[in-house]
Amino acid sequence: MKSTKSWWFAAVSAAFLALPFGAVQAAPPRYGGALHVKLRAASVSLDPREWMPGSPAAADAGKLASLVYDRLVTLDDYGKFQPALATEWTHDASGKNWQFKLRLAVHFSDGSVLTPGDVIAALQATLGRGFEITGTENAVNVHAARPAPDLLEQLASGRNFVFRAQPDGTLLGTGPFFVADVVAAAPTEANPAAVKAARMKFQANENCWAGRPFVDVVEVTLGEPALRQLFDLQVGKADIAEIAPDLVRKGRQEGLRIWSSAPRTLVALKFDDALTAPASDDLREALWLALDRDTMANVLLQREAQPATTLLPQWLTGYAFLFESPMNLQRAKGLRADFSTGVVGAAQSLRLRVDAQGDLFKLVGERVAVNARQANLWVQLAMPSGANASTAAVGLRLFAWHYDSLSPRAELEAFVKQIAQGGDLPASATDPEQLFAQERRLLEERRILPLVFLPEYVGVRATVHNWNASAWGDWRLADVWLEPEGAGSAKTASGAQKDNSTTARNPGARP
Amino acid sequence: MQSSARKFRQKKWGRSVGFGALLLLGVFAADYLAQTCVFADSDSPLKETARKLAERVAGIPGLRGPLRLEWHPDEHWAEGEDARWRETLRDEFARRMLPMSDEAGAGALSVYAQQTPAQLVLTAKTRVGDREEVRIVAIPRAVLPPVETTVRPVRLQRQLVYQSLDRILDAASLSNNADGELGVLLYKNFEVVVLRLDAKGEIAQTVSLNVTGLKPARNPHGELAPLGGQVSVQLWGKSCDFSWDAPAEVKCRAEKAFSLEKSAWRMGTVLTSPCDASHWTISGGGNDPTAREVLRLMPDGASEESSATVMSEFPGPVWNVNAGQSGGSALVVARNLQTGNYEVYKIMVVCGG
Repeated sequence: MKSTKSWWFAAVSAAFLALPFGAVQAAPPRYGGALHVKLRAASVSLDPREWMPGSPAAADAGKLASLVYDRLVTLDDYGKFQPALATEWTHDASGKNWQFKLRLAVHFSDGSVLTPGDVIAALQATLGRGFEITGTENAVNVHAARPAPDLLEQLASGRNFVFRAQPDGTLLGTGPFFVADVVAAAPTEANPAAVKAARMKFQANENCWAGRPFVDVVEVTLGEPALRQLFDLQVGKADIAEIAPDLVRKGRQEGLRIWSSAPRTLVALKFDDALTAPASDDLREALWLALDRDTMANVLLQREAQPATTLLPQWLTGYAFLFESPMNLQRAKGLRADFSTGVVGAAQSLRLRVDAQGDLFKLVGERVAVNARQANLWVQLAMPSGANASTAAVGLRLFAWHYDSLSPRAELEAFVKQIAQGGDLPASATDPEQLFAQERRLLEERRILPLVFLPEYVGVRATVHNWNASAWGDWRLADVWLEPEGAGSAKTASGAQKDNSTTARNPGARP
Repeated sequence: MQSSARKFRQKKWGRSVGFGALLLLGVFAADYLAQTCVFADSDSPLKETARKLAERVAGIPGLRGPLRLEWHPDEHWAEGEDARWRETLRDEFARRMLPMSDEAGAGALSVYAQQTPAQLVLTAKTRVGDREEVRIVAIPRAVLPPVETTVRPVRLQRQLVYQSLDRILDAASLSNNADGELGVLLYKNFEVVVLRLDAKGEIAQTVSLNVTGLKPARNPHGELAPLGGQVSVQLWGKSCDFSWDAPAEVKCRAEKAFSLEKSAWRMGTVLTSPCDASHWTISGGGNDPTAREVLRLMPDGASEESSATVMSEFPGPVWNVNAGQSGGSALVVARNLQTGNYEVYKIMVVCGG
């Protein structure tokens, strides 16, 4: 009897507890409030022309730039390109000549009208050589030197935003927000040794062509340490914050709502030019075979990363699964046994410098040294420090590459130029089979050894609604709305209102 | 005689012009439909992709059949799509002298289907001697036909009546007759358009409202209220009226009551059962734009938890529900999370299980 009563009580309790969740009614989106965002990057440039392809800094900048600028087209989650500043587009059979009809009556945040000249100037600077852009009354024509069937993918991603450069260096955008205030990092008054983080404030653009965003203000704090960001999310000081991969498990255990993207960062090794000669072929092959990527991803990074055997991830190319895990310790040892004693990595240790910033990358570097030792190769970690750190002779570098483009060809080409110091890929590389052949050739050189792919992790407070980021990391903050919170929210909202008078004088993005 | 020949020529010329005009109209209509709707039977992109892959595989030096087709779709692949793709691939391979076989001894030809943000990538992998051969083709995801929606065998009968790439704000029945015409309110490229669909679901009339002073919105919601030949459209901050007979004369006025924040669809829509004239109230789930939504139909006096409640899962969030004039059916506007299309379903309470 006692047992029956307990079950009955448990069932009633469960039903009572479940009621608020089961009976949720569709609440309308709410306009207003301030969205607090915390990023790890210490500083961000909102000038797309300054972004270095593949750099993690460009990734953070891209997120904030999408608040201020628009693109000609966007890509939705269903593989369909959607009109943005361009309402229609056509191209010829060769894929070299494209025409984009521009949306009429689009205004920059200072009220001036977007013209084809603005689009031409912006895209000519970001698309770069290989594209000639001209305009007509309400359209722009893009002529590519070689077939560009992936032009829409390129325009919908990376740094290909539309902006207007002002004579004073300020950039204006047509996006859902404009930059209202930028405060640089500075020592705190109470403790000059401590640094107060840099902040950026984005104000809603009431006249945005795509509709006013839901929130009044996006307040971004830069350079917050990873642990501090996690804490801020927990105590409600942040609505959205980046979560370092090594803190994801902790965040989940503490009940945080954590969103993850598709893998956006490649962590890889690159041999210095001195070690790319045929004499070092066996050394490079032996290290390639000795690396235990599964352990790095699953143990070291607690399953918050994926083993990488390719330069481009599966979600971007669709063919990465063809490259199987190459680990073969026996073969690595066999190759090592044939080294002459004078070869670097044998008697003389190979110096590995961790170029990527952060403790996590140092951990991966240490794991590389452990794996090398298992194959009787000697790798010594050389952390960059001192004035001559960048010029000191090393044999290997550990770097992070952030994927910017939705075009796999454009991404591989940028990677080749930046990391492998190569040139343009052949025009035929827009064909996936040709791209696969190019990537395989690069991997077979063994100059670059992929290690792991890292997704992007973001903590999102429960009061943030309509968080619908794309798998490739577009946060879409203009569509996010905030649940009203008692006095705290009201205070923030009134603060935002108060700032209107000062922000209106300072529109646009300050590079 | 001359006059009769001229008449004949004129008649013939007249017929040609008429036929040409009809043809031109057909081309325009087909183009418009191709832009706005995607039909489930448009298999040509699928066949074209399969043909390209088969051509490349057939070009592999030294490859001989019979081959055993192994199909490996990724996790995004919809159930029920496999058979169609396998069959198309088999046909295309067979057409190129590469017969397929289910025999274990036949050489394996693995075909992988993987989605990227913008494309569907098909990869064929096989071995010829000790050589591994790979052939890859890609197709824009946007041109693929939509997945056919499976309907749950529930007492709520539903039928997909219209779908569009553009955002559908509302849909309304234009007649009391259950199989009658339909009005659809679209937000197409930041413009408001009303379509009149005939009983076959084809576009009979398009009315562009050209609402001056309508602020663009991120959560556009609207309501369509037809009455006879007149149509009232309620938008955020504006309401408009027009008649199907004079679509150019759209009259719009400012509407303070319908604020930007109003976005909940008609709550408490009631359907009447044809069996016993009982009333069933429709209610929705949460407001998650990334989740499939379950609509509940509750009989009079029952609660949501009641066993009498009928549930129907839609392939995405429900944007609007509009009861028909007869009260026997309602139109549900939902977004299909698989395809991204906006869809209009007709739902009816039917007797029995």
